[in-house]
Amino acid sequence: MDPEVARTARESLDLAFHMSNILDTGLDRHTLSILIALCQQGINPEALAAVIKELGREPPPKPVVP
Amino acid sequence: MDELQDQQALLDLVKDLVHRLNPNTTTTQFAQSLKYATRILTSRMTPSIATDEAAMAESIKRSLVNEGNSSDALAFADLYTKFTSKSGFGSIKNKWAVLYLLKVVAEDRRAANKSDSRASSGLFASTVCGGLPVVFDEKSSGAKKTLDRSRSGSNGVLLVSKDSENLWEIAAREYVDLVREESEVSEGVLVRDVLYACQGIDGKYVKFDKNYDGYVLLDSVKVPRATRVMVRKVCELGWLFRKVRGHVSESMDRFPAEDVGTIGQAFCAALQDELSEYYKLLAVLEAQANNPIPMVSEAGNSGNYLSLRRLAVWFAEPVVKMRLMAVLVDSCKVLRGGAMAGAIHMHAQHGDPLVQEFMRCLLRRVCSPLFEVVRSWVLEGELDDIFGEFFILGQPVKAESLWREGYRLHDGMLPSFISQSLAQRILRTGKSINFLRVCCEDQGWAVAAEEAAAAVGTTTKRYGLGYGETDALEALIAEAAKRIDKHLMDVMYKQYKFKDHCLAIKRYLLLGQGDFVQYLMDIVGPELSEPANTISSFKLAGLLESAIRSSNAQYDDADILDRLKVKMMPHGTGDRGWDVFSLEYDARVPLNTVFTESVMGRYLRIFNFLWKFRRVEHSLIGAWKTMKPNRITSNFLTKQEGSIKFQFVSTLRRCQVLWVEMNHFVTNLQYYIMFEVLEVSWANFVDEMDSARDLDDLLAAHEKYLQSIVEKSLLGERSQTLCKTLFLLFDLILQFRSHADRLYEGVHELQARTAVSALSSRGRTKTRQKQNDDTSWGGGGRKALTKLAGEFLQTIGQDLENISKEYSSTLEGFIGQLPMQQHVDLKFLVFRLDFTEFYSRLRLGK
Repeated sequence: MDPEVARTARESLDLAFHMSNILDTGLDRHTLSILIALCQQGINPEALAAVIKELGREPPPKPVVP
Repeated sequence: MDELQDQQALLDLVKDLVHRLNPNTTTTQFAQSLKYATRILTSRMTPSIATDEAAMAESIKRSLVNEGNSSDALAFADLYTKFTSKSGFGSIKNKWAVLYLLKVVAEDRRAANKSDSRASSGLFASTVCGGLPVVFDEKSSGAKKTLDRSRSGSNGVLLVSKDSENLWEIAAREYVDLVREESEVSEGVLVRDVLYACQGIDGKYVKFDKNYDGYVLLDSVKVPRATRVMVRKVCELGWLFRKVRGHVSESMDRFPAEDVGTIGQAFCAALQDELSEYYKLLAVLEAQANNPIPMVSEAGNSGNYLSLRRLAVWFAEPVVKMRLMAVLVDSCKVLRGGAMAGAIHMHAQHGDPLVQEFMRCLLRRVCSPLFEVVRSWVLEGELDDIFGEFFILGQPVKAESLWREGYRLHDGMLPSFISQSLAQRILRTGKSINFLRVCCEDQGWAVAAEEAAAAVGTTTKRYGLGYGETDALEALIAEAAKRIDKHLMDVMYKQYKFKDHCLAIKRYLLLGQGDFVQYLMDIVGPELSEPANTISSFKLAGLLESAIRSSNAQYDDADILDRLKVKMMPHGTGDRGWDVFSLEYDARVPLNTVFTESVMGRYLRIFNFLWKFRRVEHSLIGAWKTMKPNRITSNFLTKQEGSIKFQFVSTLRRCQVLWVEMNHFVTNLQYYIMFEVLEVSWANFVDEMDSARDLDDLLAAHEKYLQSIVEKSLLGERSQTLCKTLFLLFDLILQFRSHADRLYEGVHELQARTAVSALSSRGRTKTRQKQNDDTSWGGGGRKALTKLAGEFLQTIGQDLENISKEYSSTLEGFIGQLPMQQHVDLKFLVFRLDFTEFYSRLRLGK
């Protein structure tokens, strides 16, 4: 990858991480990078947020037992 | 292949995410979570709010500030600026999505934290968000099944995740879904259609309905009723626009047929200008209409999109103007020229300042041709009115009737902001210029016009004046009128010596120059006693010349004497010269504006009357000459015998008495006519001439002068019976004259015969002086002579008796009728004639 591009990407991620911290979202850097990648792909951010909320809870989802 | 790869990559990413979020799960749990996650992700593919990055950042900042973390907000702002500035490869492309994600996650966390302590949250949280989580917790598994978003819009799980701030968004989202359900046509399309309709073009869904006479949404289109009503309201503008534009294009089509005048054209031009302003507005609105309408908008998005309601607001002012224009178009459809300007002016009497401003501009345009015509008429006398729109009409006439009939006012075309008196003054000023130019061949009026314009401050150039400056117009017209009238009066008096001519007419036609009249009568008299068709007018002209030369009239101005002529009126077979003789005065241009044919006709009538009267007077004076007591008659008296003498004396006496009576009448009437009528009227006329400011005044004064003369000298219509009586009296007087002449002739003849017989009988008597003659009728022929004389005197006496009777009765009738006349001066005549009340007592005595 182009060092310039890499640098831009890293800086953007840093900024996003800082913003995320200010907003107190509880996301770490790696998760954030995945999320950003998903957003870039066009996934609805609302859906992603829902996923985060659901899967981030302590009680696991009820196991689907036939 | 790319798609599959993308999908795979996506799946990998999701797996990764899930793993990260739940690091301590078993594989089954992991699989479940993965499935769950994909379900969530696939169920909501499009965001529910508009993609606006800036607004998103704003909203995040605001929420930070609301929580009291202004330092955080500032930091965030700083970061955000840096974040957005990153562009190009390697940067985050969907920044909005990232921000939104962060925001939602933060909110969710906050909500999750808050829901633990219910007391701390606001009302909304406890009722809306607080309640639902409870439901969720209890029926967590069941609720999870309701993941799929239902059309009713109650997104159970996902709604719960929002907190109080999002209530509005919730409601808005519900509404949006409702709207989408109800209308098959989106609002943006409708707006665009409405915009087309407002330009008079039929859109896809909005068409012009002839029955309803307006733009309506097609019934086939399914839209909520509110939208339908709104569309109809907004399309009123389209209807008005059609009307106005229809009128404009119609006028343009009719123009070559010269049915639409300059003012109509100006009106159309003004309308066109307004319409182009309107087009500009429409262009701006169309540009805005291309922006998508946000269904649910956060307050920050005040951007330029266009919804039906916004359109209604934008159109508020244009609708007022368009309505005005449509009203004007309606009222002006059948009007032209000045009438159109007047009608538009009436509409401008409005209290609303917007309307007033609009109408003022419009009227300024519309009235500029009118004012231009007025200006050129008033300052140059040019009437350039092809379409017949001006309120002054001109017609080609001869020079002498230019003033009276050449131009007149056309009230139909008089606009209502020009008053009648102003219009009269405008008419008179232009008429004066034309009169000066045509009749007086004078160019000095141009100077006067320049001065007038300079005095008022405008120039004589075009378009100096406009509507709304009625004061300036009035000032200009007043100045111009003043100067040009003065100039005209100067020209009339100095160059054409109007006063002198009037005086000359008075002296010659109205017999004011006594010595001339006397002489004329003397020499022309014998000629005129001949039958009319034997008299040659050349001879009379020669006699007139000699009369002029032998009286004071010769010292008069040659130009005036040139115009004095003899005129023989058309005569029948039995007429004598006296009936057809008259004098005439030739008034040339421009004076024949005042002395027209009819005026001269009246002068002629007065002249005839005066001439007849003079003749009567002349004959009476002539009778006096013969009636002077002289030697012959006194001798005749002394030498005769009884009865003859008595008869003779009585006849003579009667003759003399009658003469005195007649003379009394004639003298007083003469005095009355000459002084009380002619001189007084003349004095009044001179005064009015001096104070006349323009030609109209002069004409009126002259008219009054003539009218008063005619009335007072019993020539008017009301005095016709009296006039007849008067002429009867004249005839009687003339008859008397002939009788008196006969009497004295007879006396002289008898005298001569006796003298001859006396001479023949006593020839030796010296007749040195006739007065000492010893006349006696001696001799043989005496008896015959006496008898002759007796018979003669008898007849004469009888005639005189008859005449006397007739005369007295007629005179009494005359005097009796006089007091019944209207004119107060005739009472003076009665007073003079009947000073001692002799006649009235006589009448009463009968």
